Amino acid sequence: MSSLQGYVDRRVLLILQDGRAIVGKMAGYDQKSNIVLSESKERVYSIDEGVEEIPLGLYLVKGDMIILIGEIDEVLDEAVDLPSIRAEPIPPIRY
Amino acid sequence: MLPLSLLNAAQNKPMLVELKNGETFNGHLVNCDNFMNITLREVYQTNADGDRFWKLKECYIRGSTIKYLRVPDALLDAVKEEQNRAREAGRSARGGHIGGTKGKVASSSLPKSYTVQKAWDEAHW
Repeated sequence: MSSLQGYVDRRVLLILQDGRAIVGKMAGYDQKSNIVLSESKERVYSIDEGVEEIPLGLYLVKGDMIILIGEIDEVLDEAVDLPSIRAEPIPPIRY
Repeated sequence: MLPLSLLNAAQNKPMLVELKNGETFNGHLVNCDNFMNITLREVYQTNADGDRFWKLKECYIRGSTIKYLRVPDALLDAVKEEQNRAREAGRSARGGHIGGTKGKVASSSLPKSYTVQKAWDEAHW
């Protein structure tokens, strides 16, 4: 049985169906994978500018929208110089 | 902490709701249910491009159309505190130890919404 319990109180990355990447601390979850994220920030990727982090605060994301949840290696993540990263943004899902 | 406990505690608090189609709704939560259907009052609606706005007195949003909700930061600590209090009250009610309810009765007899409201008043949106 897979569970999100191991992610609680850890820093995680959410990728949503609209292509957004949100990082934050997972404060809770439920059966439907609805997620409570505290101190969350959106990471906006682009080709001609560095990664921009936009603070979002306390978020409740619906499970329907979530494509993936990944635990962040905090040491590794802090070593990354986001403003120097150039990357194609993830396009939204199309049906 | 369950997402729905957070949402329940957000009653009468300001929130931002984005729908799957990109429209956003800013307003105060009036009510919600377990499907995450919600009603908001004094709402500012914005279209997906963010260039058109509507003001609504009240609106109902079906839970299944919601992408995410943004709620005040202070709510997290308020809900955690309330849960600790409920746990403590439950433990002493089941008789953890003799005479252990002294001093605890006062705090658990406060209305449930009290700590949530207090934490909210102390912080700000």
